[in-house]
Order: sequence, then structure tokens, then C-alpha cells
Amino acid sequence: MLIAILCVPIGVAIISAFLPSRLVAPVSVLGSLVTLGLTVALIAGFDPGVPGLQNVVDEAWIPGLGVRFQLGIDGISLFLVAMTALLWAASFAWSAWRMPDRPKNYFLMLGIGEFAVMGAFLAQDLLLFVLFFDLMLVPFFFLVGSYGTGDRIKATIKMMVYTLVGSLLMLVAAIATAILTSETTGELSFALSDLRANVLPEGSQDWIFWFFAAAFLVKMPSFPLHGWMPDAYRSCPLPVLALLSGVLPKVAAYGFLRVVLPIFPDATIQFQELVLVLGLVSILYGSAMAFAQTNVRLIAGYSSIAQLGFITLGVFSLSSDGANGAVLQMVNHGLVVAPVFLIIAVLAERYGTEDLREMGGAATRAPVLAVLFLIVTMATLAMPGSANFIGEFYILNGLFDEKTAYAVIAMAGVAMAAFYALRLYQKTMHNRLPAGVESREMSLRDASVLVPLVLVIIGTALYPTLILKRGEASVQDKVGAVTAAEEPEGGLAAKP
Amino acid sequence: MILAQAFNAPDVDYAGLSPIIALTVGLVVVLLVGLAGRAQRALVSAASFIAYGAAAGLSIWQFGEEADLVSGALRLDELGLVATLISILCAVFVIPLSWREESADRAPGPGGHGEFQALLMASVLGMALLAMAQNLVIFFVGLELLSVPLYVLCGSALRRRVSLESGLKYLIVGSLGSATLLYGLAFIYGGSGSTDFTGIREGIGAGLADDPLILIGVALTATGLAFKLSIAPFHQWTPDVYQGAPTPVTAFMAVATKAAAFAVFARFFEVALGPAVGDWQPALAALAAVSIIVGNVGALTQSSLKRLLGYSGIAQAGYMLAGIVAANEAGIEALFFYLSAYAFMNLAAFAVITIRERETGFGDDIRSIQGLGRERPILAWPLTIAMLALAGLPGTAGFIGKLYLIEASVAGDFTWLGVMIAVGTMISLAYYLRVIAAMWMRPAYLSDPTPEAHNRVLPAMAGGSGELGGTPGVRCRVILGFTLVAAFATVFFGVIPSPLVDFVSGTGESITASFG
Amino acid sequence: MSATAFGWLILLFPLAGSILIGLGHRRWPAKTAGWIGTAAIGLAFAAAIGAFLSLLGEPAEERQLTSSAWDYATSVGLDIQLGILVDPLSVVMCLVVTGVSTLIHLYSTAYMVSDKGYARFFSYLNFFVFSMLLLVLAGNFVLLIVGWAFVGFASYALISFWYRRGTATAAGMKAFVINVVGDIGLVLAAFLIFREVGAFEYLTVFEESREHFETNEGSIVAICLLLLVGAFAKSAQIPFHTWLPDAMEGPTPVSALIHAATMVTAGVYLIARAHPLFELAPTAADIAAFVGLATLIVAATIALVVTDLKRIIAYSTMSQIGYMIVGVSIGAYTAGIFHLMTHAFFKALLFMAAGSVIGAMAGNQNIDRMSGFRRAMPFTSLALIVGGLALAGFPLMSGFFSKDEILVFAAERGGMYWIFAIGGYAAAFLTAFYAFRIGFRVVLGEPCEEAKEVERGGLAHGEHENPATGEKEDTEVGFPGSEHHIAERAPGMKIAMGVLAMLSIVAGFIQLPGVTAGMEHFLEGSFEESELFHIVPSEGSAYTGLLIGGLMAFAGIGVAYLVYVARPGLTGRLRSRMEGVHGFLQRKWYFDEAIDFLVYRPAIKLGQFSNNVIERVVVDGIVSVTAGAVREAGLLVRGAQSGFVRAYALLVLGGFAALALYFLVVSS
Repeated sequence: MLIAILCVPIGVAIISAFLPSRLVAPVSVLGSLVTLGLTVALIAGFDPGVPGLQNVVDEAWIPGLGVRFQLGIDGISLFLVAMTALLWAASFAWSAWRMPDRPKNYFLMLGIGEFAVMGAFLAQDLLLFVLFFDLMLVPFFFLVGSYGTGDRIKATIKMMVYTLVGSLLMLVAAIATAILTSETTGELSFALSDLRANVLPEGSQDWIFWFFAAAFLVKMPSFPLHGWMPDAYRSCPLPVLALLSGVLPKVAAYGFLRVVLPIFPDATIQFQELVLVLGLVSILYGSAMAFAQTNVRLIAGYSSIAQLGFITLGVFSLSSDGANGAVLQMVNHGLVVAPVFLIIAVLAERYGTEDLREMGGAATRAPVLAVLFLIVTMATLAMPGSANFIGEFYILNGLFDEKTAYAVIAMAGVAMAAFYALRLYQKTMHNRLPAGVESREMSLRDASVLVPLVLVIIGTALYPTLILKRGEASVQDKVGAVTAAEEPEGGLAAKP
Repeated sequence: MILAQAFNAPDVDYAGLSPIIALTVGLVVVLLVGLAGRAQRALVSAASFIAYGAAAGLSIWQFGEEADLVSGALRLDELGLVATLISILCAVFVIPLSWREESADRAPGPGGHGEFQALLMASVLGMALLAMAQNLVIFFVGLELLSVPLYVLCGSALRRRVSLESGLKYLIVGSLGSATLLYGLAFIYGGSGSTDFTGIREGIGAGLADDPLILIGVALTATGLAFKLSIAPFHQWTPDVYQGAPTPVTAFMAVATKAAAFAVFARFFEVALGPAVGDWQPALAALAAVSIIVGNVGALTQSSLKRLLGYSGIAQAGYMLAGIVAANEAGIEALFFYLSAYAFMNLAAFAVITIRERETGFGDDIRSIQGLGRERPILAWPLTIAMLALAGLPGTAGFIGKLYLIEASVAGDFTWLGVMIAVGTMISLAYYLRVIAAMWMRPAYLSDPTPEAHNRVLPAMAGGSGELGGTPGVRCRVILGFTLVAAFATVFFGVIPSPLVDFVSGTGESITASFG
Repeated sequence: MSATAFGWLILLFPLAGSILIGLGHRRWPAKTAGWIGTAAIGLAFAAAIGAFLSLLGEPAEERQLTSSAWDYATSVGLDIQLGILVDPLSVVMCLVVTGVSTLIHLYSTAYMVSDKGYARFFSYLNFFVFSMLLLVLAGNFVLLIVGWAFVGFASYALISFWYRRGTATAAGMKAFVINVVGDIGLVLAAFLIFREVGAFEYLTVFEESREHFETNEGSIVAICLLLLVGAFAKSAQIPFHTWLPDAMEGPTPVSALIHAATMVTAGVYLIARAHPLFELAPTAADIAAFVGLATLIVAATIALVVTDLKRIIAYSTMSQIGYMIVGVSIGAYTAGIFHLMTHAFFKALLFMAAGSVIGAMAGNQNIDRMSGFRRAMPFTSLALIVGGLALAGFPLMSGFFSKDEILVFAAERGGMYWIFAIGGYAAAFLTAFYAFRIGFRVVLGEPCEEAKEVERGGLAHGEHENPATGEKEDTEVGFPGSEHHIAERAPGMKIAMGVLAMLSIVAGFIQLPGVTAGMEHFLEGSFEESELFHIVPSEGSAYTGLLIGGLMAFAGIGVAYLVYVARPGLTGRLRSRMEGVHGFLQRKWYFDEAIDFLVYRPAIKLGQFSNNVIERVVVDGIVSVTAGAVREAGLLVRGAQSGFVRAYALLVLGGFAALALYFLVVSS
């Protein structure tokens, strides 16, 4: 099952590279839909009660290096995988409607991207995770670099170097973890389960923790490591940006939950405050920056810095509800930010600019688009009634018990979100049309991508429990690993 | 019967020597075939292919054998064989590259294929010896046999001043290297009183570890080897020579030399100087770190692809040295895994450069590959894969290689060296990605000067001015084929590394076995 | 059929209506949308009556019924149901909301007819009613917050209904953001409640908190204050009131429904709903009462000087809600809710009449330009007068009873609560005055141009422009339609106003001191445990209160007559006499300026600072420094690459020397 989810994207991508150009787009779209179907089947067959992994795949890969090809799914990754498949399908379809030049490269890269992200979400072997995590970047390097706008080459190289700085340190850290563990256990293994079973002594946990944190914080991105974001967002083609901003950061946040908490519990406790502060600053800074932007992409970009800040808070609240909220919020943010960028794409086509000051009044002849955008905006600013609200509610409620001050300050971010999100909506859809621009309803093609996404948003808003219930067990398991370390007699403290 | 007793020749394990013998015979044959006037290239190439094929086949046949040959002068084991095979692979790859290369192909009239290939094979022979050497004398002989032909080959593009310059430069600085090495060997012999590695080992083990004589020797030897491996700060000849030498030659020495030299490096330090490991480990670690930094930062602003690869080679040598620093079996295996992977990616890269040299007038300048992705994807992909692999991105053998090396150095308590490798890789991204960006993200460079216009053509020294460069892509199909194979291998071993891991898995033990 | 079933129906109809209209906005012929909308709310009203009757069937102590549709967001120990609570309080609110809404929908079918956004208008309006009902019926704090936010959103959508008007969109933004601040208050309150009590369900929380909290214990006071933030933001109490006057940018029916009759009273409902908590935190309750008092006085004073017809009524709304807040905070729950209901009637009526006048004035809202509509629009004038009388608390009108009940209750509790009684009666005088400032100005006096035009049977057609800024506008979607009807001419509007006028007159009689106490008896189901609820002023004091109230009304109206009718010039002289005061009131006590200075500017400044300084210096700084260092190193390496063999040899020797040195050092 998981193998199929992993192989369909890459397989289709490679096959379509040898098809005649006109067939490439439809085949790729079809492939992405198949993947989506598979993930839906996965959700259907998922057993919410189980805290551990399900549909496990475990094959030898590089026995010499103790690396296994180990896949598995649990309540944390389940809906992230589904979200990935959904957004990729959307992006594929959107791109197919507006045929890019050299479609073979384009769709090949997109396919590799999906393959890598899926791999990162499914991998249960630390090294496999790192491998997929790094691989994710390659296709986006090509997509931004060859299909982007503006100073795309500078932007894409900056993005690569920035994010790989973290990733390579993470590679070293991962190897170190395995080697050091093998010194106590005897045999070398990267399997997360083994690493978790016998945790490192506190001293060596610390630097390893920061190597991992660096990788994840850059990818999110979190203040002050977001330097690559503005350039990359400015030049990234919008359907790709929907993924770059909707999915990739989640892999980082997911990494904290999947790798850092269970394997480095002591370090996690030790640095909790620090990471929380980073998250908080990201929220306030991202929101403040979102005020100041006039480029519509960057408003969305900085807003997602803030959103990821909330997710960080949730994960490092080290409470079940906080973490569960974070999981829900990862899915939500992906679901709302992707349509935002697609709508921006529509608007940019209308206005011929992405400067907020030169927009306005788009709603006059496009009521449907306006309504869709309004729903998405309200979800983005986490209006109560949206799943995003439930996500933030869980996160902050989890934070409130122990770290009340953080929760209260984070609330300021909520108010700011209301302002910049609504500003984005109003200044594009409302007020008077600029001279020489005429408002048009979106085409059926665009609707065919946007409407399903919005429907999913509404669906999750009505029944967030669907996600929360399935996350519950696994989240408690991960957080439990840390809280166990907190107790003095916890087995982890008793390491030589 | 009686004869046999009366005349007891030293029993020679011909089976073990067979690869070397094959190469020697091949050398002679190729030289003779080179006399042929017509269809010279075809004949010579065929002969060389056969010779290399034979040598490779025999090596594989001997794979797994472990024995001391010619009274311990040579050591037959997987370490040596792997290195030999890598060298042979490079040589084979270079054969098609050299076609139409003016250094070998001085049409009209009898071309220089015979000489070219013979020299190449001589060098390979030297490498084979070097890789198997476990005796100071063979060590030095092998090294010289390796180097001298290369000096000539570098200068073999007679009409190009840069080629001659590089040959000369290589000769002078190279002889300096050889001299230091020779001194070193002498000191060590003087100190330990033995020319056999095992003998030296015993000598040192017996408390010579802190004998200044030995130590100076070690320093000198290290210098000499580091020089051959172009490890900073003994790297400076590399960019100049790489750039000046005919591209096929550069391609050959970039990889093959490293393979052989690292083989003997490993043998010498871990067998002969094994007991003194604590002393030389930090020194080599420092060298590795320095050349990682120097190589990577040096490559940053290069516009000549060959220079760029030269500097990157310096950095890569630094990475590989970490395998020896780790001083454990995993380290040696990692080193040879990386060497094999490095062979594939580097050859692919150089092949593409060669082709573009002939197709465009920009020589090896980065402009020659601009916009390649749109015009000739079939050429762009191999180079892209090669660059990604050199940058150590996942999905390529380069990633597994780095993983292997870092794992080894962490296991050898040199975690900081592992971090250095990571840091170096970060810097390297900047220039590897520049190359990829040039191919895929920039438009083709329009104003295309006439072929070879950029390097001043001197009056022909031998046989009139011949056709140079050649019409684009005519004879490049074979090269292209080889290139694609190399690129494919790079990806294949990145996804399914196990075969390659098994291939090198023996090298680790062969060290420990040789003094068992 | 059980009360809860009716409860779900109450929610269902408006939502269905909204979606139906929305989906069909292209297909429906001319006014179908309007009829669908009105019908949907009408059905909801019927369902509300059904719930009311089925509750009457129950004994008083069994009038609190809950029902849950599904697990809304339940996991890791948080239990959040999609559940409703049907009890007398919520049913009364439902009756008021749906009842008034039906009439206002009816009114709108005619009023908005020429507007290009006709269908959109009714879709929004239905959605608003749904949200309001959700807020009222919610069975737990989380769902309350959801309804709370939906209401805010609907109000935003309707304030900026004419979305091509800069002023309208700005006003919408202001309203929305301030309301979000309110939501945050509620959310934090919910967190605190969950931390203390471990539940979100109303009944559980109230049950638990009685055991869990000491009176005036810190946490419970904090909870109540946070709840108050939400309440004040929604009910436009100081200092969160500034959005309400601007909200008048919306179409008049919206002002009537949302910003007078229903939404802005949510705060009152919240305090009444959470009364068990507030009775545990008297301090918080008193704070609430004082804020209410302050608001009702400040708003009344501003209403004296504002010249925009709708804004006068808006400030009067603030002031009246102040009364309600005082009421529910000091424990006069019945009175508070009672005033909420009567106010809904007469304030809606006033707005409708105002809308009619504005229609006749071709969109102009300045009362200085209005006069003498009595002959032109007798019906509207009558409505204005009736509404004015009710607002002024003229004897026997509905406002008369409801307002006084609050103030008498305050007096009854005695002690410092006297302040509320005194302040309330003082403000009552002002109320009566500005109520008839409108009445006399518009109805009496020499007919103005527009009035004459109407008398001639025509309808003034002014320029299409933004009344606030005077920008020219077209009549396409996103701007007001070509013309807005006058109540006289459209039966729908006439009916709506007639019914409301009747209610404004008679509604008071359900709570005659000593005679009837319908409201009180019914509400008992929700307030049994509260002892404050059972304090009932003696008839004597009740009637004294009524007497004072009546006098205040007479006085106010009398003075108004003096100033605006008997001695027309007087206003001008008063103004010049008290320039300072007038200016101060005109600038609305400088609240807008203060908020702009304290909140808005700093936020924007912060944004610009981060953008211009932090981003450049810190974030890019990190990168450029490292990159620079690497590049420098690169140049160094290249510099060493002189190309001369001798230089290379030198370096080789240098390197060797270093190595040799090292080895010698380690050896010794």
C-alpha cells in the first residue's frame, strides 16, 4: 500500500518523460489522482485506536551501513500524506490547464517532488527520512530556477544553500545518533524504533538536537532563519509555490514530532523554552511583516511564517492537546495556503501585477471567486468555525496550562492575522477597480481545482474530529516519550 | 625431476600477477600496433580494449585471493584489485574520448594513437603496481611509472601552448613531489631497517614510534602522497595542470591517480605505520580539513569548468582522506566506495565537457554549456547528474559515499571531520548548482566564436595543421554512450548501492589481513 | 416534538435559506431571493414559537434541555460537542431575533429592490440570522465563540456590503478587527475555564464552578473579565465602541437588524447566560455595570451633537445597551432582557423610519437639511414619533416600563448601586431630548426641498455619491442602487413598520409591576439558582421609579421642543456659548484618535520597522556576512594561485615544514 503511494508518483513521472508531449499533462494528472485515491483508501483502512505504526514495510536496503527501507504510517502522518496527495493533484491539474513550456521536465520534477515528500512522511528509518528530506529540495530547485520569474537563479540557489545547510548538519547528526547508539546496543541501526528504545545520554543529545532543529527551523522557515523565503516566494511559479509553502514546511514540523521528541527527549525538555520563544517571535514577526508587505505573495508568505510559529508552539507545548492541535493545524494550513496562492495566480492574471496597491474591485464581476476567496481568507485567519480555529484552540489550550504567558502573547498573533488576511482580501476584491482592468469570473478550469479544495476546507471545518481522533493515540505516544523523561525515575535519565 | 631440484626458481604466483602481466603485454602490443598507418585508431583502440579487458577479467578472477607475491614485494588482495579495476575503468573510458583529440589524433598522416594509448597503459600499469605495492621500492617504482607517462600526456597537445605549459609544470612540481617522497622512504628505511611494510610495522611497533628519523620520513612521505592526491596545501599544480592538459588526460588522472595513490596511502599508513596511528591521525585530519576548505572556496568563482573540477577534486580528496583518518575498516571501504562513485560522476562530467569543447568555441568555459538543457538534454542530464552527485545530493552514489565517509569518521571518533565534510558540501553547492543553473536556467550563449579560436594555435610542429575540433557530434556517439552509462551508474548506485558496497566490502579486511 | 428538535429547526431554516439564495443567485427571477429569505426567517420564527410552547409545557425546573448533533472537536480529553442548549433565556432571544428579523427582511424586500446585490444581500442577512441563533442556542463555550465570530463576520460582510465604497470597507475592517479582539477575550476565558473546571458545556461548567470557586477568587474574576472583553466588543461598550457608529455605512435595514435589534445585544445575553459565574465574581459584575453606566452617559451626550441621522440613532443604541448591561450586571436579569426586547422593537422601528426619510432625501443623512416631513410622509412621521416616545420612555410606552425596571432594581439593591439609578435617570433626560431632536427636526418645521418633492408625489433624485466623502458613484453592484423606496409607498415596509410600532406601544404590558410578570415567570427556568433573580422591588418603589422616569421623559421632550421648535435660533447660540464642550462631543470624546494613536499606529510602525531594519540587518545580515567570508577566502586561494612553479614549490615546502614540525612535537 505505502509502496504504491510512493511509487505511483515517481513511476508516472518517469513514464511520462518518454511520452509524447501532449500526453504528459493528462497522464501526470491522472497519476496524481490515483495517488490521492490510494491515500483516501489508506484513511479508510486506518485503525484510530493504534498508537504505533500501521501498514509497515521493512526491507533491507544498505545492510553494510545499517540502513533499512522502512515505511509506516500513524495518526500523525496519515492526513499529512493525504493533504500532500491532494495539493499535488491540485497543482498538477492547475499546471496542466496552463501548459508550461518543456512540460516533460516540469511534470517530471513535480513527480519527483511528490515522491520525496511522501517518502519523508512515510519513512520510519532515520536515514531514509533524512535522504527524502534532502531530496525534496532538488525538484524545487529546478522548478523555481527554470520556471520562475524575476531573479530566479539567485533565489533558487539561495534557497538550496540555505535549506541544505540545515539538512547536511542533520545528516551528520543522524549518523552520529546511530553510531553512538550502536556503541551501547552493539549493532548499527537507523530504525527510529531502535533509536527510541535506547536513547542517548543527555550530553550528546544536546548538539544533535540543535543540528536537527537547524534543519527543521530553516525549512519551516522560522525567524530568524527565513532569509531564503522572500526571494524564493517572489520567483517561484505559483502552482509550485502552493506546494512549497503548503507542504514542505509541514515536513519540518512533522520532523520535530516524529524524530526529535521521541529520540532526544532530554534535550527537548532542556531547550523547550528556547524553541517556544522562537515560535512566538515567528508569530509576531511574521504577522508584523505581513502588515508591511505590498506584494501579495509575501503577505501569504509571512503569514505562513506566523502559522508555522503556532505549529511550533503546539509541538513544543509538550502536551497531547497542543501536539494534536499542531498536527491538525499542519493539515489545515496546507489546505488554506494552497488555494490562496492559486487565487493569487488568477488575480495576477487579471491585474498583470502582484502589487496590492494596484489591485481592487475584482469581486464586481466574479462573485464565485470572491466567495471562495472569502471562505479561504476566513479559514486563514482561523475564524472560529474553521478547522484552523480548532487547531489553534487546541495548540494554545495545550500551551495555556503550563506556559500561560506564551499562549496569551500568541493570541496577539490571532488579532494581527485578522487584520492582514482581511486586508489582503479587501484590497484585492473590494474597493474600486483600477483603471484599465476589468473584472472577470474565474474560468471553469480554475474552478475545477479551487472548488474541491474549498469543499475540503469546509468539510474539515464541520468535522475536525475526523483528524483529531486519529491523531490522538500517536500524539499521546510521542509526547509520552518526553514526559516519561521528565520524571526522575524515567528510564532515560538512568543512562551511563 | 633432478633439474627441478637443482634449479629452484623463486616460485612466482603467475595467477596473482596475471593482471599486471596482461597490462605489460598489452602495452607492448599497443605500441607495435601504433605503427600501423591506416585504420590506426581502430586497431590501437581495439588492442587497448582487449588488453584492459583481459586485465580487468583477470583481476576479477583473482578477486578474493589474498597472497604475498614475489617474496612480499606485492600484495594481492581486494584493496589492490579494486584500485586497479577503477584505474582500468577510467582508462577504458578515456579511449573513445581520445579519438579526434588532437593530442592523439594528429591527422593527416600517422596519428599518435599508438603512443597515446601506450603511455596511458603504462600509467595504468604503474597504478596497478602502486595499488599492490607493499615494499618501499615497488612503492616508488610504481609511483614513477604512474607519473612519468602522465607528464608526457599532459603536454601531448603539441599545438596548444597551455598544454605544453601544463606538461612542463606538472613535470617540475611533480618531480619535487617524487623527490620528497623518495627522501621520506629513505628515512623510513633508515629508521626501521626494512623495506617491507610489514617489516617497518614491526620496527615501529618495537618502539620507533617517536624516532625523529622515522617521523621526518613520515612527514616527507605524507607530503609526496598528498601532492599526488592534490591535497591542500600541496594542491596548487592541480588547477593549472587540469586546465592545460587535454581533457581526456585530465579526466583520466583526476580519478585513476587518486585511486592508486589512495590505495598505497592506505596500505602505507595503516599497515606500515599502523602502530603510530595516534601520531599521524591528527595530522592527516588537519590536511583533510584544509583541503576541503581550500578546494571548495577555490572553486567558487571559477568560470573554467576544468579548473572548477580541479578545485572540486581537491575538496573531494579531502573528503576521501577522512576515510583513512578514521583508521578503521569502515573507513577504507568508505574510501573505495567513494572512489568508485567518484569515477562514474567525474568521467561523466569530463566527457560532456570534452564533447562541448569540440562542439562550441568556448573550450571548457562555462559558457559552452549554457542553455544545454533546452538544446541537448541528452548531454545536459549526465552533467546534471554528475554535479548533483558531486554535491552529494540524495538519489546519487555521491550521497551514499558521503554517508559512508561521515559514518566512518564518526565511528573513528572524528565527528568534527564529519561536520567538516558537511560544511564543505554546503559551500560546494554554490558552484555545482551554478553549473546546473547555467545548463537549465540560462539561455544558450549566442555569439559563438569559431572553434578553437580562443586558444592561439601555434604553427604545427608535426604534420601540418590538421582539422581540429571536428564537426559537432559526429564521432561523439560512442562517447555519449559511455557518458550515459556512467551517469546511469551514478544514479543506480545511489538508489541500490548494495552491489557497490559488496564490491568494496573486502578492502577493509585486506589491510588487517596483510599483517595478520 | 421536543423543544430541542425545534431548536435545530430554528438553526436550520436560516442556514438553508442563505445557502439556497447563494447557490441560485444567478437563476432567481427578480425578487425571489427576498421572498425565500423572508420565508426562511418566518419559518424560524414559527419554530421558535414551537420551542416556546413546548417549554411552557415543562415545569419550571425542567426547562433546560440540551442536545448534541455530533462530536465537533473531541480528543485528548477535550470534549467539544456540536450541541445546543434550549432554555427560557435562549428561547426568548430566539423569539426576539427571529421575530424582528422577519419584519426587517420584509422591509428589505422593498427597500433594497433597486440594488444590484439584491440576492447577495438576502444571503448575507439570512446567514447573519443563522449565526445569531447559533450564538444564542450554543450549548457550550466553544460553539458560543463560533456563533460569536460568525455574527462578527456577517456584520462585516453587511457593513461593507457596498464594497466599492472605501468608507464602507474601512468601516467593515474596523468592526471585524475589534470583534476579533472580543473573540480572543472569549477564547482565553474558555482556556481558563477549561483549566479550572475541565469542561466547556454551560451546565457542567456552572455546576462545577459553584463548588470549585470561592467568591471573588482571582481566577473566576479573570474569567468574567475576559468574558466581558467579548461582551463589550460585541455590544459596543467603552472602549470597544468605536466601530458601531462607522457601521452605519451599511444599508439601513442592516443597521436596524444587526446594529440595533440583535447582534449588539449579544453582550447582554452573554452576561445573562454566564450569570452563575458573574455572581461568583461580584467585582467583575460591578466593573461591567460601571462600564455600562459610563457608556450610556457618554453615548447619550454624543448623540446630542451628531448631525448624521443614522449615527444619532447608533449612539442612542450604545446608550440603551448601556442600560441593559447595567441591568444584567447588577442582577436585574428580567429587566435587562425585557429592555433588550422592547429596545429591539422601537430601535428597529426608528431605523426603518430613518431609512424611509433617507430614501426621501435621496441618500442624504444630515438632519440639518431635513424638516417638515409630516405632510409629505405622515406614516413615517408617525413611526418616528412613536419610536421616539418609546425611546424617551414616555409613560405607557414599552421603553417606559423596561428602562425603569432596571433603574428601580438598582435602587432596590441600594448602597453604591444608587449611582446607577441616578445616572440612569439623568441619561434618561438626555435620551428624551435627542430622541425628539430627531422627531421635531424631521417632522415639524418648514418642509425642505425633498419634502416638497415627495408631497408633489415625486421622489427627489440626488447625485449618486458617497454621503460621507462626496465621491461620485455609479449604481452598479458594489454601490447603492438607483433609488431607495419610501415606507409610504411599499406595502411590505408599511406592514413591517406598523407591526413594530404596535409592539413598541404595547410590549411593555407583559411586565407591569404588580400586575403581570410574564417575562419573569418564564425566565425563571434559567435563573432558578440565582438569588439576585428573586429580588423584586416593592410595588411602591416601582411606581415611584416610573413616576421619575415619566418626568424625565416629559422634561427632555419639553426642552427639545423649546430648543428646536419654539426658539429655532437657540441651538446656534448654545453652540457658540459652549464651543469647547461642543467640539469635545463632536470629536466623540476623542476615542478614535486615542485608539489610532495607541494601537493602530504602533502595529504598523512595528511592521515597517521589522521590514526596514530587522529583515535587512539581522536576517540578511547573517547570510551576507557568511557569504562574504567564504567569498573572501575564495579570493585568497585564487590569489595564491600565481601560476609560478617557484611559488608552488614554496608552499609545498611550507606545508612539509608544518607537517615535520608537528611530528617532531608529538614525538618528543
